[in-house]
Amino acid sequence: MADLHIIAGIRTPFCRLGSEFDGLSADDLGRHACTSLLLRTGIDPGFIDEVIFGCVAQPADAANVARVIALRSGIPEHVPAATVHRNCASGMEAITTAHQRMMAGLGDLFLVGGAESMSSVPMMFSHASALKFGELAKAKTAGQRVMAMAGFKPRDFKPRVGLQLGLTDPYSGMIMGDTAEVLAREYHITREMQDAFAAESHSKALAARDKLAEEIAPVHLPGSAVVKDNGIREDSTPERLAKLRPIFDRQTGSVTAGNSSQITDGAVALLVGSEDAVNRLGIEPLGRLTGYAYSGCDPARMGLGPVHAIALARQLTGFSPEDADLVEINEAFAAQVLAVLAALKNPVKTGHELHPVEIPHEILNRRGGAIALGHPVGATGARLVLTALHQLRETGGHRALATLCVGGGQGAALWLERN
Amino acid sequence: MNHIHFQLDGRHGVLSFDREGSSANLFDRAVLVELSEKLDALSAHPELEGLLIRSAKPAIFIAGADLKVLSTAQGEELRDLIELGQATFQKLAELPYPTVAAIHGACVGGGLELALACDWRVASDASATKIGLPETNLGILPAWGGTTRLPRLIGLPAALPLILGGKILVAKAARAKGIVDAVVPQENLEAHALTFLKRGKRHLPNRILLHNPVVAPLIAMKARKDLLEKTRGLYPGPEAALEIAAKSCYGPITQGFRREKEAILKLAARPETHQLMRLFFLQERAKKHRVVQAEAQPVGRCAVIGAGVMGAGIAYWLSARGHEVVLRDLDDAALAKGMKAIAKNYDEARSRRVFTPTEAARGLDRIFPTAAPVPLDRCDMVIEAAVERLDIKKKVFADLAARTRPDTILATNTSALPVHELAEVVSNPERLVGLHFFNPVHRMQLVEVVRTPQTSDSTLATAVAFVRSIGKLPVVVRDAPGFLVNRILMPYLVEAAKLFERGGDPKAIDDAMLDFGMPMGPLRLLDEVGLDVAAHVARTLAEAFPERMSVPDLLDKLLAAGHSGRKSGSGFYIYDGRST
Repeated sequence: MADLHIIAGIRTPFCRLGSEFDGLSADDLGRHACTSLLLRTGIDPGFIDEVIFGCVAQPADAANVARVIALRSGIPEHVPAATVHRNCASGMEAITTAHQRMMAGLGDLFLVGGAESMSSVPMMFSHASALKFGELAKAKTAGQRVMAMAGFKPRDFKPRVGLQLGLTDPYSGMIMGDTAEVLAREYHITREMQDAFAAESHSKALAARDKLAEEIAPVHLPGSAVVKDNGIREDSTPERLAKLRPIFDRQTGSVTAGNSSQITDGAVALLVGSEDAVNRLGIEPLGRLTGYAYSGCDPARMGLGPVHAIALARQLTGFSPEDADLVEINEAFAAQVLAVLAALKNPVKTGHELHPVEIPHEILNRRGGAIALGHPVGATGARLVLTALHQLRETGGHRALATLCVGGGQGAALWLERN
Repeated sequence: MNHIHFQLDGRHGVLSFDREGSSANLFDRAVLVELSEKLDALSAHPELEGLLIRSAKPAIFIAGADLKVLSTAQGEELRDLIELGQATFQKLAELPYPTVAAIHGACVGGGLELALACDWRVASDASATKIGLPETNLGILPAWGGTTRLPRLIGLPAALPLILGGKILVAKAARAKGIVDAVVPQENLEAHALTFLKRGKRHLPNRILLHNPVVAPLIAMKARKDLLEKTRGLYPGPEAALEIAAKSCYGPITQGFRREKEAILKLAARPETHQLMRLFFLQERAKKHRVVQAEAQPVGRCAVIGAGVMGAGIAYWLSARGHEVVLRDLDDAALAKGMKAIAKNYDEARSRRVFTPTEAARGLDRIFPTAAPVPLDRCDMVIEAAVERLDIKKKVFADLAARTRPDTILATNTSALPVHELAEVVSNPERLVGLHFFNPVHRMQLVEVVRTPQTSDSTLATAVAFVRSIGKLPVVVRDAPGFLVNRILMPYLVEAAKLFERGGDPKAIDDAMLDFGMPMGPLRLLDEVGLDVAAHVARTLAEAFPERMSVPDLLDKLLAAGHSGRKSGSGFYIYDGRST
């Protein structure tokens, strides 16, 4: 398998739900990431073979949002674009899709990434209510209109919150937080462990502000320049986090808003391609993708997805976590990351042939994770790859593992290298 | 003579305008006579079910009267031309069967007056379709029935702004005003226009409540007040048009024609009209004037350096004209401020229906703000609008020279600094040129193109063509202090400031110049420009020509006290509504 080179990458700042990026759509954010990347690399976008973007809550007014992003970024019409969706792994799916295209001989230079505006996820009406609105729209005479209106009941005006629906696994009926509670119980992850992990995510991100700035292109909105991630808290301590109430299992649970990932807007863009493409452009790449795996698992325990994906990736590549100089595990929930670490330490329970491995604390999520930075679901996968490669450059490391869990019961694991 | 072709198509006739030996359809005596004869013949065929009028030219319906004829005709000759036009169009209006104008391309002046004499008007939605009566801009008025017919069609209150402002509308706007009856794609234009013939002769709406000897003068009074605020009584054309439109919207139509004729005969003899016509011809000449023989190079992507008032204004204008623009500033906050100004420009353009919401959004998408030192080798033109300091500009240009292609045109928007001094720091200085836009960029038509001794013909030709392509009027000037505009303007502004220094009332000074015909008083203009900017330009000029002008101490005193003009809230005036 030929490596896919990650030639360059950039992201927007990540901003909490309803904050500085409120009012921007996923295509706005994706456009900011893409134009910043094109500007900084200076490449002619006409040479791009395809634009591939991940987006989970695809905007109703921008179907195939990748195409909208591409055209709005000044990429010529002849360059096609496709949107990919693997829930929280959509940003990784964009990268690995480009790799598969390249291996199939369908191009050697791709603009990929992920974009998500969780602030823009709409409210929806139930199908039964929508039918009634349809009747009302069809009504021609005053009498028909009165009849149509008479059919409405108060519950017809109660919207279904799109964000909540999106974060619920339809198969098991469990909202994501509930799956984290399952893991907390089964792996004996206490509230204190979760809060300590969460506080550390903030303090690591805070300490890495300058390094994070290298991943970021400021967004110049009319009247305000957004230059940094705004979810990182300076006052996040285990003590303060301990005061928050559990939000999923209110009586006996341990998962709180403080030890879960933040709901966030943001976008990431990466320029990826073959070795030929790298030579042609003359840009020193950030690194390369050398192997990867996606694996399915129990939707109720989706948080363990990374363990399953790491095991499958080992079969495909021969690498296991002890080969990594750096590890990024997406922080969907503190309980979930801690459960992954526990499962890797004692893999018998998972049914996989893995050596027990303890990931050293100092190589895990060095710049903080989604608990501090936020988790714009479609973009996060690409952010993990971007930050892992930046950190390899910073530390002089050689190999990194980027992995995340996926709603609906999947895991993704990507192996990255830098010379 | 064969400028108009008639064709019988089933049971209706088609009249095609196709002026021989010209790309445009214009009305002169010969065309009018031919049309008159054709209409005489047509009126003898009452069995026809209708008549469609069209143009055989690709992008012009009828561009009005031949201005060369109109501007030179006087006395009897002009009277004859006006009477011929009025009588001919009235023949068209009186045909016993319905008539429709299928309008694609420019339909202005006499072209619209012809269309107004038809029962129905259908226009194509192409951007080339432009509809209006611009006569008052030239000091005259629509006198082939337009001043009389338009109010009768769309009502006096709607017609007055169009006639007095000489406004040119796109097809959709003309539809909204009621001037045309339908707007359709060009391919379907004539087929759809024919369907209007089935509607029969048009019966104009009865507007007796507005169009009567009591109400019409009241409408006119209000319109006159607004008009005089703008013209201060200096432009007799729109005033005459106002009076005639108000009087002729009721009563016999022939009375209106008589009034139009008398008014245009008077107006044509006035010096204002001669000067406005001359201005028009000069502008037309400037639009086509070829400064050098060299071929202009195409300009696509641009960069603007500096996101201040001028940088943002230029970036807006270029993006609105389809150019991608890298907007570079060292400061993220300055970029955000610039983006705010640009977004405001687009909002205004959208609310004035210059752009649809989608067009405005795509325009904004074409701007790429960045504080990072990004490569600029994909830019064909870089316009610098940074601080007016030679040392800073030299640094900027040395850097630009390194980050652009060797053939990228490097332009400075300086208003006072010598452009050629930047040549020292630029590799390939033949690509250096001045492009001096004026503030506010989206309103000011003139752009000074400054040629240094090293500027190549190719660079100059490209710069001139570029300025024209973005809808501005280039004027090529030498690299001398103040270039053209400030060289003329500054001594005048400085003199006004000196009058103020000697105790003159700013309002009285400004009013005197407004009465003279200036669009804005000199002290008000200084406040708008900014006293700091003005003082800088004035000083440059005073240094170059000490015997001709000096900078009054007053400017420095005002600046030292923080009164730098409108942007600081005070200058010669205080910007809370009262004068100092």
